Amino acid sequence: MADITIPKAAPVAHDDHGVGHYTSTGLSNNKLAMWLFLGSECLLFGGLISTYMLYRGRFQGGPSPEQVYDIPFTSISSFVLLMSSLTMVLAVASANRNDLRNARVWLLSTAVLGATFVGGQVYEFTAFYREGLGFTTSLFSSSFYTLTGFHGVHVTAGIIMIVVLVAMLNKDKVHGHKAETIEIVGLYWHFVDIVWIVIFTLVYLIPA
Amino acid sequence: MTRTPGSRWRGRYLALVAGALVLVTGCASDAPQDTFKPAGPYAQKIDNLARPVFYIAGVVLVLVFAAVLFVIFKFRQRDDDANKVPHQLHGNTKLEVLWTIAPAVLLVGVLVPTLATVFDLARKPKDPIQITALGQQWWWEFQYPGTGIVTSGEMVFPAGQTVLVTVSSRDVIHSFWFPRLNGKRDAVPGRFQTVKIQADKPGEYWGQCTEFCGLSHANMRMRAVALSPADWERWQANQTAAYAAPTDTLAKAGEAQFAARCASCHQINGLLGTDGKPIIPRDVPQVSGAAPNLSHLMSRSTFAGAIFDLKLPECTATNTEVTGTPVECLNRSALAAWLRNAPGQKPMVPELKGDPPKGRGMPNLNLTEQQIQELIAYLSTRK
Amino acid sequence: MAIIERPQPSGPLELAPAAVVTSRQSLGVFHRPTTESGWRSWLFTVDHKKLGIMYGVVAMFFFVVGGVEALFIRLQLAAPNGKILSAQTYNELFTTHGTTMIFLFVMPMAAAFGNYLVPLQIGARDVAFPRINAFGFWCFLGGGIFLYLSPLLGGLPDGGWFAYAPNTGPIFSPTHGMDFWTLALLITGIASLTGSLNLIVTILNMRAPGMTMMRMPIFTWMILVVQFLLVFAIPVITVALVLLSFQRLYGATFFNVEQGADPLLWQHLFWIFGHPEVYILVLPSFGIVSEVLPVFSRKPLFGYPFVVFSGVAIGFMGWGVWAHHMFASGLGPISVAVFSATTMFIAVPTGVKIINWIATMWGGRLWFTTSMHYAIGLVAMFTIGGLSGVTHAVSPADTQQTDTYYIVAHFHYVLFGGAVFGLFAGFFYWWPKVFGRMLNERLGKVGFWFMLVGMNLTFGPMHITGLQGQPRRMYRYADGMGFNFWNLVATIGAFTLALGVLLFIINALKSIKGPKAPLDPWDARSYEWMTTSPPIAENFASIPAVHGLDEFFHRKYEEDEVTGQLTKVATAEEILADQEAHREAHIHMPSMSYWPLVVASGFPILGLGLIFNTLLAIIGAAVIVGGIFGWALEPPTAPEADQGNDPDASGGTPKELASVG
Repeated sequence: MADITIPKAAPVAHDDHGVGHYTSTGLSNNKLAMWLFLGSECLLFGGLISTYMLYRGRFQGGPSPEQVYDIPFTSISSFVLLMSSLTMVLAVASANRNDLRNARVWLLSTAVLGATFVGGQVYEFTAFYREGLGFTTSLFSSSFYTLTGFHGVHVTAGIIMIVVLVAMLNKDKVHGHKAETIEIVGLYWHFVDIVWIVIFTLVYLIPA
Repeated sequence: MTRTPGSRWRGRYLALVAGALVLVTGCASDAPQDTFKPAGPYAQKIDNLARPVFYIAGVVLVLVFAAVLFVIFKFRQRDDDANKVPHQLHGNTKLEVLWTIAPAVLLVGVLVPTLATVFDLARKPKDPIQITALGQQWWWEFQYPGTGIVTSGEMVFPAGQTVLVTVSSRDVIHSFWFPRLNGKRDAVPGRFQTVKIQADKPGEYWGQCTEFCGLSHANMRMRAVALSPADWERWQANQTAAYAAPTDTLAKAGEAQFAARCASCHQINGLLGTDGKPIIPRDVPQVSGAAPNLSHLMSRSTFAGAIFDLKLPECTATNTEVTGTPVECLNRSALAAWLRNAPGQKPMVPELKGDPPKGRGMPNLNLTEQQIQELIAYLSTRK
Repeated sequence: MAIIERPQPSGPLELAPAAVVTSRQSLGVFHRPTTESGWRSWLFTVDHKKLGIMYGVVAMFFFVVGGVEALFIRLQLAAPNGKILSAQTYNELFTTHGTTMIFLFVMPMAAAFGNYLVPLQIGARDVAFPRINAFGFWCFLGGGIFLYLSPLLGGLPDGGWFAYAPNTGPIFSPTHGMDFWTLALLITGIASLTGSLNLIVTILNMRAPGMTMMRMPIFTWMILVVQFLLVFAIPVITVALVLLSFQRLYGATFFNVEQGADPLLWQHLFWIFGHPEVYILVLPSFGIVSEVLPVFSRKPLFGYPFVVFSGVAIGFMGWGVWAHHMFASGLGPISVAVFSATTMFIAVPTGVKIINWIATMWGGRLWFTTSMHYAIGLVAMFTIGGLSGVTHAVSPADTQQTDTYYIVAHFHYVLFGGAVFGLFAGFFYWWPKVFGRMLNERLGKVGFWFMLVGMNLTFGPMHITGLQGQPRRMYRYADGMGFNFWNLVATIGAFTLALGVLLFIINALKSIKGPKAPLDPWDARSYEWMTTSPPIAENFASIPAVHGLDEFFHRKYEEDEVTGQLTKVATAEEILADQEAHREAHIHMPSMSYWPLVVASGFPILGLGLIFNTLLAIIGAAVIVGGIFGWALEPPTAPEADQGNDPDASGGTPKELASVG
């Protein structure tokens, strides 16, 4: 047995006083869990994107991707979503400076930008539907709506998380470390943005 | 705690070993789908590859079991002195490396012939006989491209020649498998995949759908008949012969019945409708869009997914693939039972659903006994 | 992605004690529940030990359900042209048998062991997210109940456990059975995913001082590998299930071949999940056996780092072999060749484990308890399953074997001889720890022999019938195929096996009034034995520091520097008394909560709604969303006065283990 000098009675318990719980890795539990969850989400979107890539050229009985896509419009809404990542970075930076007021402002901006993106997606879906691309029209349509719909639901969940977070910050009801909570929500938000960059590139920009 | 005396262990393990021996040696002999009895070169190649692997696996198994048994007997605790603790050996890196590399080397030895066989079996043959096998719930259709020949449930081919079977499906995934001729190939709708088969000798081979395909998956068998080259020519000639109208009255009545009640799904090549044109079933109300072609039903020995005997088992007539089943050999009772109530004989889902309405399998046509007798009389002339 | 380093400590943003909300000023609708006994203490518990037991009990129930289904299957196949079951019923039973055994028995039973033992093995007071842990359990139970609502609402699922499309599409499987199946697996998937996140964070973050990764008990290591497999495998089957349920419920086209769909999409998605799943099922048992064999050989695990790394290697390689389930589906020779090779080489780390287990016993003093019987049984039986697995890797041979009873034999040797034997070894080994009572060893051994003989009689002959050409999933087989005798033997074996399981259940029930277990009945080696049996609510009076692998053993025994002879220097009682003497003040345990149960109960309602009625779906979604808000807003602790384990907490700061969990 390699003998090492560790005191027999543990100096730190996991439920130690103070905000940062002691952890073996130094990473907080919540943040580690969020990273793992995002790892899992990668495979979820990986599966959906693969399905879309397999089926995007199979639009038999309905309009083709080229017929329905409005690249300039989607580029603008993509830009809006990218900007929301910037505002999220600013929110986290403010929180780290203990500037909660600005953090709230940036968080709300993020939510507004995110909502703009979702609004754009709703508009896009209705426009596509009017052009004859129903959910059940073709393999392309089913896989397109499923992929982008899943992403839209993720953005929406992110918006709800941000709004609730701001409300809880206002009423001082966030248990635990506020800046870290904002950062964790930020991790999720950035992930959803990155996924959109992949989707936008693969779905809209690269021709089938 | 109680401790088991060694003798009881020994007795139990001896019984186990004896049991294992019985398992190995007790293989039944009458097994028409036995993978250990290859009847052609492709199945033989698989067998040549698999047997040594089984032997190697057997040797490894014996070694592991011997080691476990040795350890059990040698190192069992023989006294109750709980304070005696053996040497706390934590491991040995050299040994670990050895027993990581050893199985890897062994597996490379297995891998090389495996890969060789994979590519060998995938090589396209020169000028093969072509057959297309289409699966649907719950029977197989065999088409002979370029000849117009279509059979169902039974595949006829010449012995001693390579047949390239193109496998696909009209509804769900099935799997095409004649164990004595080659490994299985899935029949995937929308995909056309090939498998080579060859039988060295004329004879009968049995196969079965092996991918779960719904309700009557168990009732989706198939029979292959390898013929001598001369018989193969005769068989083709018979299958492509012009329609022979029935002569006796009962069979004639059956012909009319067939045209009226059966021909909307089942094709009989050359059967003319009332308008004088050949009846070709279109828009068959089946999800698969097809029903067995009955033009030469009597050249087959089975029907309905090869699960019922069409030819009585005690029939001594030979070469009925070419000459057709003689009337006295016809399994009238089975055919009558089928015509009386097909879904009662074989689980199917004939209820018409959807738009346009389609079913899966033959419905009960509510035929009268007279109609059944007429139809049997007609069908018995379809040689 | 920016990971911003926070200055530590970070000043005014921190939760100042004054801002703490106690349950008296409740933010949620309810106070946190505080009952410490009765059914409420189970319903609202967040204690990993209680949840572990609940996982175990429910999984055992589903084991019996799946077992009874198997007995019906075997009765039907006892003779050719069996007439006991209709084709439809038979197809339903083998579908639910597979689904139940995999998703509702082995996975949750491994979760039971993981939940109960991991915090104890690493010296934690609970898991990282206790409420999420409870939520996971209720999702699993909800998914299980949801699956078995199907016979009341239109029929059991009938597409086989791997549910190949398009046979499971709306045209070919018109009852609601497959709808229930897809949604039930989505619900249990939530349980698996949350459970895996929880256990990974727990293992990585909450180890006792001094417990480095390479000092962790091997069971915890294997559980860690399994949780990583789950994190990445569950989303893949989620995609597959979403595609299928969208097709079935909303008319999506994913598997409509006439529109150009490729049915192999389902197979790829399913098996990318499905093959890691095999290791998800079997690695926990490998972990259990790697604990049991050293204890009863009274030697350390031989080559601990190699056993760890072979487990990790299996975890990685498990992702590169999925297409070996599809050798007959027409992948083309190059793919087949690649997957043959990867499949063969995954046998190497598996073989390393088996040899290490034998080497662990080598030179030991083997004590043949029931647990040891099962452990050795696993080594032998899994070897058979592993070797038949290698014969599948020989892909041309596999085209003869796949979808026959030979495959059924193979995976039952792996899953019954491997996974289930390991779980039973675990039952007998940890029973005294969990319940403080002994299982009857004599009855246990009789049960073992029934199970060993029974499983060999059941699954052994399937090797033969499979190679003789008997396909699986057939409700009947014809006479004259050479299948009759061995199928009859298999049926007799199945009932022998069932008798063995029955004996275990009797044993378990008898143990309620059985003899009290000594503190250290097996002269165990690892950390979880350094507490009372059953463990106290906070697991340990104080968290002892770890100095090496087999911490408990090395506190009991001291090695003579010269001779290497070990002498006992302390008993378990003394070690426990020492811990008790250093009992930590201010141990705060997480408070109970209503919300995990509430949120989880929303999913089956949502599922029923998706199948039958939009209004019901909205109600289910509302329950979930409302429950999440209740969860987020409920006070962090129960009223302190009600916390029995902390007499002087009134002056302390209320808190719990994790703010989210």
